[in-house]
Amino acid sequence: MRRFFQRHVSQIALSPSLALIAIFLYGFIGYTVAVSTTTSKAFPRFDNFVGLEQYWRLFHTPRWHVAFTNMFLFGGLFLLVTISLGLIIAILIDQRIRAESFFRSIVMYPMAMSFVVTGIIWQWLLNPTLGIEVMVHQLGFESFRLDWLTNPNTVIWALVIAAFWQGCGLVMALFLAGLRGIDEDIWKAAAVDGIPAWRVYVFIVIPMLAPVFLTVVVLLSLSIVRAFDLVVALTNGGPGVSSDLPSVFMFDMAFRRTNLGLSAASAVVMLGTVLAILIPYLYAETRERA
Amino acid sequence: MIDIRISDCNKSYGTLKVLKNIDLEIERGEFIVLLGPSGCGKSTLLHIVAGLDRLTSGTIEIGGRDVTDVEPKDRDIAMVFQSYALYPTMSVRRNMEFGLRMRGKPLSEIRPLVEEKARMLHIDHLLDRRPSQLSGGQRQRVAIGRALVRDPKVFLFDEPLSNLDAKLRASMRTEIKKLHQSLGTTAIYVTHDQLEAMTLATRMVVMKAGEIQQVGKPEEVYHRPVNLFVADFLGNPGMNFMRGQIRLDGGRVSADVGAAMLPLDGYAFAMPPSDGQAVVVGLRPESVQPATGQAPAGSEPFVLTLKPLLTEHTGSDNLVVLEMGDQEIVGKFPTDPPPKLGEPVTVGFDLSRLSVFDAATERRL
Ligand SMILES: Nc1ncnc2c1ncn2[C@@H]1O[C@H](COP(=O)(O)OP(=O)(O)OP(=O)(O)O)[C@@H](O)[C@H]1O
Ligand SMILES: [Mg+2]
Repeated sequence: MRRFFQRHVSQIALSPSLALIAIFLYGFIGYTVAVSTTTSKAFPRFDNFVGLEQYWRLFHTPRWHVAFTNMFLFGGLFLLVTISLGLIIAILIDQRIRAESFFRSIVMYPMAMSFVVTGIIWQWLLNPTLGIEVMVHQLGFESFRLDWLTNPNTVIWALVIAAFWQGCGLVMALFLAGLRGIDEDIWKAAAVDGIPAWRVYVFIVIPMLAPVFLTVVVLLSLSIVRAFDLVVALTNGGPGVSSDLPSVFMFDMAFRRTNLGLSAASAVVMLGTVLAILIPYLYAETRERA
Repeated sequence: MIDIRISDCNKSYGTLKVLKNIDLEIERGEFIVLLGPSGCGKSTLLHIVAGLDRLTSGTIEIGGRDVTDVEPKDRDIAMVFQSYALYPTMSVRRNMEFGLRMRGKPLSEIRPLVEEKARMLHIDHLLDRRPSQLSGGQRQRVAIGRALVRDPKVFLFDEPLSNLDAKLRASMRTEIKKLHQSLGTTAIYVTHDQLEAMTLATRMVVMKAGEIQQVGKPEEVYHRPVNLFVADFLGNPGMNFMRGQIRLDGGRVSADVGAAMLPLDGYAFAMPPSDGQAVVVGLRPESVQPATGQAPAGSEPFVLTLKPLLTEHTGSDNLVVLEMGDQEIVGKFPTDPPPKLGEPVTVGFDLSRLSVFDAATERRL
């Protein structure tokens, strides 16, 4: 009996958390998939199996299309802006500037805030009667207009800017760590070889950061799919449904429109999207290790 | 012809003086090795010659031109690093080409040059690999190849072999030596491996705490160290040191080291000794050997009967610790016959190899 415990102590220690994960993570994923095959309304019911009908309905709901397209639009822009600016800021900070930790803290600070706070701050800043627009008017530029939040065509940029403001710190920190990890001698060799700094970045250093890029893309992609609080606090999906994201759609269907079946179907599609991002990443990671 | 002239060069980081009044002239085609303990400023001096570090005061000339304020790329130098510093995202070929391409040389001229140097270094079959797919020795060859294709006026090496295992290090050492003999390019080589320094250098520079201690041919530095530090730093096993006093007796000079009077008549004193002067007498273990009856050519025989206390077998020799009054000295004995512990043996001293240092100033007398 003692020997059994000694030999299996790690399994025994892990088993409670494994059990919890099995029930509350995988159990409820299965439950959600099950709900998505029913016509459940306010409460889950399993006596009305309809197969994939909810998915068919989902992809024929115009609002879902807006939300799903927005996710890619918002996601693409957010990735592009955050990665390029995050990298540029990291490179600037890497130039052994004075007061480096001061600038680092400034860029990192928004990370300490919740998305709800970020959303509210940017709602105020972009509000035509309170924020930047009023400030610029007071400076004398009466014709200045900043209607991102009220214009359905540009509202996505408001989301991108707020999310960038929040996410930039993390991206910058990851890139800076990567840049600092590069062997000093590479820079010296390049200096002796007479390679200008920008070429060293473009041809040598940035390609060396490929693993960091991968990590950043995965982290940001997951936050895109999860993005909910920011949208609720900043635009609440408006104007109309023009800034809807799948997570907002799902929440709305489940708790406001009492359409659990459809909501569950959208949740499953989101899970599929996450897996589509994660599986290649995990595959690449494990292959690198092997 | 002077190729590199380092004049009165100082380097400080804040209040820390890393290099102090370094003066060094290097002839064209010399292979200079900088040797010294860790942190003595060897790399800093090399970086200053390369232009990677600014000096606090002083001037550097390369090929008769003052390059003190010239960028590294315009100094016509190439450098090989301890960590290889290859560009990991490029193939070996591109690593070797890149510097020349940045200088705007047409690819049609670069290609044959790279192939030629690669053949010379036996890496021509590796040209399309990435650095991560190479062994340490191959990487260092590529790094050397990258320096070679540039055809610089001066090669700078910063401990290029210290990441390699002992065997590979020895073979790379001879290759670097051959390379230098065939190219004849001036080189400065940093190491803290004495064997590398002794075998590669045409002249070596021993440094300590930012100051040059001695500059000279390897044999000269080894056999005639200018102070106790250099004497102690070079040689493995280290030099024997015996404390004692100078005795002037009539016309004869000798050193009284307690257990014996070592005659110093044949010793070329740099400054005249005085009677009773406290000295440290140094003698390398290979100059302490079992007496064969005849003394080494050109020196008077000097033998003592000493008791072995301990032996260490190193493979090719026996290192024997001998009791000499209240001091101990190490001799390098042949492995056969092994000395018997506690049984006195007759030991011959090669007095022509003696070094005598003043005990107070630690400088050679
Ligand atoms: N950037 C720097 N800032 C402050 N001190 C430095 C800096 N670079 C080097 N030093 C100091 O200068 C001294 C000499 O350093 P250097 O790298 O030249 O030593 P080294 O002789 O090459 O040693 P090693 O054999 O370990 O490579 C050391 O005491 C080191 O701490
Ligand atoms: Mg060094």
